[in-house]
Amino acid sequence: MGTEAIIVFFIAAVVLVGGGMIASKLLAPTSTNPQKLEPYECGIPTQGPTHVQFKVGYYLFAILFLLFDVEMIFLVPWAVVMKNIGLTGLISAIIFILILGLGLLYAWKKKALIWE
Amino acid sequence: MNWDDLLLMRHELQLLAVILIVTCAEIYLSGRDKSRIIPLSLALFGIHMAAGWLWPVEGELFGGMYRTNGLIHLMKSILDVGVFIVILQAGGWARKQLAPENRVSEFFLLIWSSLLGMYYMVSAGDLLMVFLGLELSTLPVAALAAYEVLKMRSAEAGIKFILTAGLASAVTLMGISLLYGSTGTFVLADLGKQMQGNSLEALGFIFFFAGVAFKISLVPFHFWTPDVYEGAPVSVAAYLSVISKGAAVFILMILLMGFAPLLTDLWVNVLYLLAILTMTIGNLFALRQRNLKRLLAYSAVAQAGFIMLGFMSSQQDGKASIIYFMLVYLFSNLAAFGVVQTIEMHTGKEDIGDYEGLYRTNPRLSLVMLLALFSLAGIPPLAGFFGKFFLFMTVASAGYYLLLTIAVINTVISLYYYLLIVRAMFLRKSDNPLPLVTSDGWMRAGLVICVAGIVALGVASGVYDAIYALCAHL
Repeated sequence: MGTEAIIVFFIAAVVLVGGGMIASKLLAPTSTNPQKLEPYECGIPTQGPTHVQFKVGYYLFAILFLLFDVEMIFLVPWAVVMKNIGLTGLISAIIFILILGLGLLYAWKKKALIWE
Repeated sequence: MNWDDLLLMRHELQLLAVILIVTCAEIYLSGRDKSRIIPLSLALFGIHMAAGWLWPVEGELFGGMYRTNGLIHLMKSILDVGVFIVILQAGGWARKQLAPENRVSEFFLLIWSSLLGMYYMVSAGDLLMVFLGLELSTLPVAALAAYEVLKMRSAEAGIKFILTAGLASAVTLMGISLLYGSTGTFVLADLGKQMQGNSLEALGFIFFFAGVAFKISLVPFHFWTPDVYEGAPVSVAAYLSVISKGAAVFILMILLMGFAPLLTDLWVNVLYLLAILTMTIGNLFALRQRNLKRLLAYSAVAQAGFIMLGFMSSQQDGKASIIYFMLVYLFSNLAAFGVVQTIEMHTGKEDIGDYEGLYRTNPRLSLVMLLALFSLAGIPPLAGFFGKFFLFMTVASAGYYLLLTIAVINTVISLYYYLLIVRAMFLRKSDNPLPLVTSDGWMRAGLVICVAGIVALGVASGVYDAIYALCAHL
């Protein structure tokens, strides 16, 4: 493993990706018509500009959701091995849940859960 | 896991307890006057800091993911002192500006979360742990930089910081993945053994180094520094310039000197060049700054270059001189930032021109600033002189005389712009100097600690010896 290997690696990466794109551009049959530019089946054509600003409140809810989403990821493996890890495991999980619960309580008291 | 294991993570657990208590206080006080949180926070953190110095322990946890020893303990305690001074100096600002807007406790919580990340970063025994700690220490700072929500400049600072920090993290992760790809391990202790010194490892190391250099603001990675320092609240700038930089220097020290022996030739050369670039460019840009926060930012860049001098020797003296310099730099820089913060909070002025004739109206603040600047420049009886002296000794004993010459020339250049401020304060007369500023008690306490540190570290020779002894085993 030396410098040559890295150079070969970089060249191979560039050739593979770039070559693929160029080859598909050259080889693929193309046909254009106006309907191709419309949104794909799902939904109706949009009305007005689509780049609109929306409330920052959505992010807040998303983050609070994420908090408990991640909590679940940690708790599922914990629940599987719970019998083996005994009391220490139980106490650790309770502390973990309490800390996250404190976060929720904080958001609650800060009125983050009220939709204005 | 038993209680002795928990004792190893004492620093982290204590800080976590402080964070949780202040969060509970915030919830409990919701809807009422939040300024009561300030003394509570300071008292709790003061206890944490004092307890942190006691009983250094040594050992590993979680299969080597987490490790600690006397030296790591000392690093964490130094960071504690810095954070304590920063929040002490921010107390008056928090009461005056943040309390009416109901944003007091979050300021402390964010700073402590960042500090917690630094603890884990310094204690990491694993590259992934280093990365997690790095992220945890960076993200809250972006929120802190944008903390003055009504100021455009502050928002700009936050955006600039998070974009550049995000890029730096991505580069770091790329480096870690390359290191993993070539050695097949994340564990730092194995990393050194598995390394063969090939070029893929060197590439990975350079990527990783770039991410850490961003936090230290070494020269090709320093462009965010002046803008963020200028826009962010002064205490956040102080935090960035001392604590954040210190933690990054410590982790670099642990990684380079402890775990990457085969790449020594590579990183000594890289750091040799970066030290020269950082010192010179930082100093030359600082010469032309009129805004004090920008000037201190470039001075912080230049000081980072001096810190890199200590890396020229991976022996005991190199380590000891870096840690000693960080300790000295902490007191000096925080004193300078404290004075700037006081003046800015009461008058809104932050240009050198505004400081003309400051000695006539605010003699005590001017004297603190004088001591801080002399210490930063490295004028003999003060601590800064000894900090630089030990770094220069390290370079000389490693035999890099060209680097030493450049460093000495740079010290002289830096003296010029530090004295520019001193001249404005003491020698210039102004028709309308700044009015008498009465700083609040917390700020005064913070400045007194800084001045005591600057003077005492210059006098007490035992400190360096104690650090030197601890550096025997990294």
